[in-house]
Amino acid sequence: MTTLTINDFDTETTAKAPDRNTPQKVGRALWGPMFVMALMGFAGGIGIAIYRANLISTGGDPLDIAALGQYGPAAMFFGFAAVFAAISFAIAKILGELRVGGGSVQQAAGSDIKTLKMPGMVKAFMGGMAMAMMIILAAVVLHVVAGVNIADGGVSPETIEQWSIWLEAARRFGVVLYLVAIMLGLGSIVQVLQYQGFRIRQVAKLL
Amino acid sequence: MAVTFDKLITPSKTDTYKTEVPHTNIGIGIGVLALVIAMVVAVIAIVAANDVGVDGGNTAQLLAIAFGLNTLAIVTSKFAIAVILVGILVRLWLRIESVKVSLAVLQPDDHGAGVAVGDVGTDFGDATVTKSVPESLPIHKMARTMWFPMVVMGPMLVIAGVVTSIVWSNNVGTSTGVAASGWTQGLQFLGEGMMLAGISFLLGSILSSLREGGAQVQESLGITVTTLKMPATAKAFVGLMAAGLMISVIQFGLYLYTLTFDTFAEIAPWWAWLGPFRELGLALLLAGIVLALATIANVLGFQFSRIRSIVSTGE
Repeated sequence: MTTLTINDFDTETTAKAPDRNTPQKVGRALWGPMFVMALMGFAGGIGIAIYRANLISTGGDPLDIAALGQYGPAAMFFGFAAVFAAISFAIAKILGELRVGGGSVQQAAGSDIKTLKMPGMVKAFMGGMAMAMMIILAAVVLHVVAGVNIADGGVSPETIEQWSIWLEAARRFGVVLYLVAIMLGLGSIVQVLQYQGFRIRQVAKLL
Repeated sequence: MAVTFDKLITPSKTDTYKTEVPHTNIGIGIGVLALVIAMVVAVIAIVAANDVGVDGGNTAQLLAIAFGLNTLAIVTSKFAIAVILVGILVRLWLRIESVKVSLAVLQPDDHGAGVAVGDVGTDFGDATVTKSVPESLPIHKMARTMWFPMVVMGPMLVIAGVVTSIVWSNNVGTSTGVAASGWTQGLQFLGEGMMLAGISFLLGSILSSLREGGAQVQESLGITVTTLKMPATAKAFVGLMAAGLMISVIQFGLYLYTLTFDTFAEIAPWWAWLGPFRELGLALLLAGIVLALATIANVLGFQFSRIRSIVSTGE
């Protein structure tokens, strides 16, 4: 079984308790708005789906049905992009609480304040999140573009099917990438918790 | 049975604060596997899209397989998240032990018994002050019991769906193919829903550990125990999780119901809205997870304020 020492952690020392870093401030501010936007996207997606199902059962215009087949996933996956962003920002908020709280406890104990430097896993979390967000949002925009073109007519059924397959592949890959990025964000919480377990013992001179 | 699951989310007797828990590395490995499967699915989709431009002979077969594998990639990445959450739980208990022994040293000798028993307001929400560790909330007991069955059953259902997707792929255009398609979609999204419910229960277990561990630390220091009352975000989390899981079960039942119809023309309108409906189930579970994480952040803020207070004033 592997064991660590406090020297295995890369830290920075400050005179007073550190504030949240920029990603943590962004996370704290944006998790709520993203949560609301996600609910709006999901409501729009399910609304479009019900309307489209009604058109299919009542023999509606095939062009409208095909166009709505693009708008529905666009709305739903806008919601998914937003909810994954909200989850990522909430993880950043947790990391911010750990950073600020850990620093303030050391300050209260009268010791110098040592904080974990941003781990590589956090950087990978942010990079993965940004890439996944771009992939899903690009698919959302292209679904809307495809829908507008289909509604205007002049697009063959084969082309519509090809667009649908490409965009579905892109957005689903984006979802997996987002989930892996979120996993890395949670993994960084494990690292911070372990460091804090060491550090509080060091402050209490129990190491 | 719950005791057995508890062993997975608590440190073993040999674990100390120095021990590096293996969950992060295992989770990353599983996450990489999920990405590899997702890349394979992307390649299959590109081949299928090109096939549409040629003669379209194999498109439906390829897409059936891609659907099954894609859901497998998603559930694999969620399983990786569940493994990391188990690691957080184990690490949390080791940290609680560190806080307990350290605060015993850092707490000023001259201190009172703490805030008077009763209800108090804090910067982080309403709290209850008790003389000893309060009993676990029913929802926390449920979370500690249910996370494991959900995390196991979810992937099993998705894997069953991969098998039916192969049947679907080999029977495109026939009634067997339609039936296999319905089973694949229903089974896999029920599995996805259960996996997300398992993750939600793990987050509930983290909240339970924070509450119980925080209370144990305060009690061990000889002061009254201040515990946050369940905040509105936690209540909404439970509601969203229940609604999302219910939709996941209902969509499975409805997919099976549509397979009793005589023609595909009757099935088509149902499947047109069942697709987004099944996604709505997952969406609500994910929305609940957002609120659970926000609640954890709030509880951490509260616990740091308690630790600061104990270090500064002794209570």
